[in-house]
Amino acid sequence: MTAERKGLVLAGIDGSDFSNSVIDYSIWISKQSQSPVKFLHTIEHSHHSEIPHHEGNLTPNMKEHLLEELSDEERLESKKMIADGKTIINAARDKAEKAGLTDIIAKQRHGTLPEALVDLEPELAMVVLGSKGEDHKGDKQGLGAQLEAAIRVIHTPVFIVKGEFSEPKKMMFAYNGSPTSKTVLQLIAQGHFCNQALDIHVVSVQSALDEAQALIDEAASVFEKANVAITTQALAGDAVEELTGYQQKNAIDVTAMGAFSHGKVHGFFFGSFTTRMLLESNTNFLLIR
Amino acid sequence: MLLSAKQDWLGNIRGDILAGIVVAIALVPEAIAFSIIAGVDPKIGLYASFAIAVIIAIVGGRAGMISAATAATALLMVTLVKDYGLQYLLAATVLAGILQILAGYLNLHKFMSFVSKSVMTGFLNALAILIFMAQVPELLNVTWHMYALTAFGLGIIYLFPYVPVVGKILPSPLINIIVLTLIVYYMGIDVRTIGDMGELPDTLPIFLWPDVPFNMETLLIVLPYSVSIAVVGLLESLLTANVIDELTDTESDKKRECKGQGIANIGSGLIGGMAGCAMIGQSIINVKSGGRGRLSAMVAGIVLLILVVFLSDILKIVPMAALVAVMIMVSIGTFNWISIKELKTNPTSASTVMIATVIVVVWTHNLALGVFTGILIGSLFMAQRLSQFMYVDSSYDDATDTRTYNVIGQIFFNSSERFIAFFDYKEAVDKIVIDVHRAHFWDITAASALDKVVIKLRREGADVTIIGLNEASETLLDKFAVHDKPEEIEKIMGGH
Repeated sequence: MTAERKGLVLAGIDGSDFSNSVIDYSIWISKQSQSPVKFLHTIEHSHHSEIPHHEGNLTPNMKEHLLEELSDEERLESKKMIADGKTIINAARDKAEKAGLTDIIAKQRHGTLPEALVDLEPELAMVVLGSKGEDHKGDKQGLGAQLEAAIRVIHTPVFIVKGEFSEPKKMMFAYNGSPTSKTVLQLIAQGHFCNQALDIHVVSVQSALDEAQALIDEAASVFEKANVAITTQALAGDAVEELTGYQQKNAIDVTAMGAFSHGKVHGFFFGSFTTRMLLESNTNFLLIR
Repeated sequence: MLLSAKQDWLGNIRGDILAGIVVAIALVPEAIAFSIIAGVDPKIGLYASFAIAVIIAIVGGRAGMISAATAATALLMVTLVKDYGLQYLLAATVLAGILQILAGYLNLHKFMSFVSKSVMTGFLNALAILIFMAQVPELLNVTWHMYALTAFGLGIIYLFPYVPVVGKILPSPLINIIVLTLIVYYMGIDVRTIGDMGELPDTLPIFLWPDVPFNMETLLIVLPYSVSIAVVGLLESLLTANVIDELTDTESDKKRECKGQGIANIGSGLIGGMAGCAMIGQSIINVKSGGRGRLSAMVAGIVLLILVVFLSDILKIVPMAALVAVMIMVSIGTFNWISIKELKTNPTSASTVMIATVIVVVWTHNLALGVFTGILIGSLFMAQRLSQFMYVDSSYDDATDTRTYNVIGQIFFNSSERFIAFFDYKEAVDKIVIDVHRAHFWDITAASALDKVVIKLRREGADVTIIGLNEASETLLDKFAVHDKPEEIEKIMGGH
């Protein structure tokens, strides 16, 4: 991150399998970009009472009694979740301190992750999330239930962690000429993402090779102007297949691309390109809307 | 949005299904009782409850709220059914639904902010009294068996939950119905049963266009009823939505709820059901039973239909005493008993509003009229209080023979008389200055009061000058708004 945009690197952690990698990656990004890191744990209320009450009768002043009962129950639940979350964010803070970071914030918020991101967006430069949260323990495939919602609500770049931490070396930028991907192009060319630490591969996949090459030339000229060295590759074929193939052949660590440029309805009927890429790749992702 | 929709439906499957069943069991006797109140066959209320519960589950704005045939709307239909018959009721139901959808588009739910806590309390207390009063005819001119059975039923309803384990699993109103039915059936006691009250559903509901002539005359007959039903239905629904919001600490979409109530009523009317709305008691039972999602209302509606269609032969022999016991429970549960205690501690104005609301409702059987009365009286009290935020002081300057009046505070229709009386018209002075820069003229009554004062003083021969009129009359404009402008509010609260 450049000096004029000293936003926070926000790491969304919830104690799930991925949380440790999310912490490691956010520490790495924070160091690379010299921005402060913020560990955020959100406390989601279930609002579901665990005590069975199937009496089915109406008693005098039942609303008042029920309100008292439910708020007591939720208070206990919240207190426990806050305490658990404190342990998680404190562990993250310790880890970040040991890694040599000094500017560390560790916070908790009530509500869902997307709600928190909307509220905090003005102060953010980058969001780091695990591809799956605490509700998906154990299941190897699949994406977190809130991931798409979280990416959709903000325009801040989101770094998605797909596995154990290993220091990123190569970033593949999938360029298709769309307005969002042009934004991503500008951001990367201007050094908004750890360029000094990464080899950048610009890859374009179109149905015809010459179209892809034209896009590559377009992107390459932007990078040239910005004095950033890149490797390029034009490919023809199915975008998801070709891109994941390139990732594997070239040992790519991070895939950068524009995300969810279509609406949810389009995604519902045609399937989202972003979702397919997320599911079928093994790399981490840098997504920008 | 899609995400939240999924959460609304599938976020609490087990809790919603169990709660839905508990609600369905309690809905059956209520739907029958409200049909009796309206003067129609029990099947009309049962079909309505099915249709409304299921439709609102899909289109409503408040997950976890239960809507069905209700006492509040049933009370408004009595004369329509008596004078014109069932078909006109169905037409009125559809029309009420259309009006409610319209109200949704016009954002009329925002007017709920005029309904104060005292009016709400009055509304619920009046509703409870009316539900109880509707049970009285069942208890007149009957043998002692009826009283004994009803008392026994109430005993089961309130005491069964204390039985270890089963008390918390089985709904006590259901136990009341089963036990009383068994007693009456096997002991051969001759008391009235639900079968005596009219037709029960024996088939699934079918689509039916109301059989009324579609002309102006019909419209004029049903419109007043439809308006009342639409207003009362939305009042109780929005009130209930607020209660559920508070209980579950979540938000609801009030605009969507208004439109949803409308769609549900149209659906009800078209399958031969009466109008309904959200039910405060059932919604609380739902939440208490663990219902939070849309699924619970859906389950409640479907289970209700299955129960009545397949068990209609058994339902027929359920004694009315069991039903009356359930309805007395509903009445007791709806009444806000704390409000009786609060009569002593609350300000007289609040108690007056509450009691006035209750009296008008019990008198007219129309909850909307009670609410309007409550709002009106409450607003008058408020205007009375605000008018005290005004005074005029004055000073006299000997050298120039000038009297200066400083007007401070709020001048509107209710304070303008007092404003006029502050001036001394008998004092003979050369010049008079009226400084109004710390005053606010809220309406044209206030503006003309100032004119009156100036004319009166001029007639006595003084030269009158007004200072600060521009600031003072800013509030005269209808579009005057201080929202989100702390500095504007500061001006009004602390003078300019």
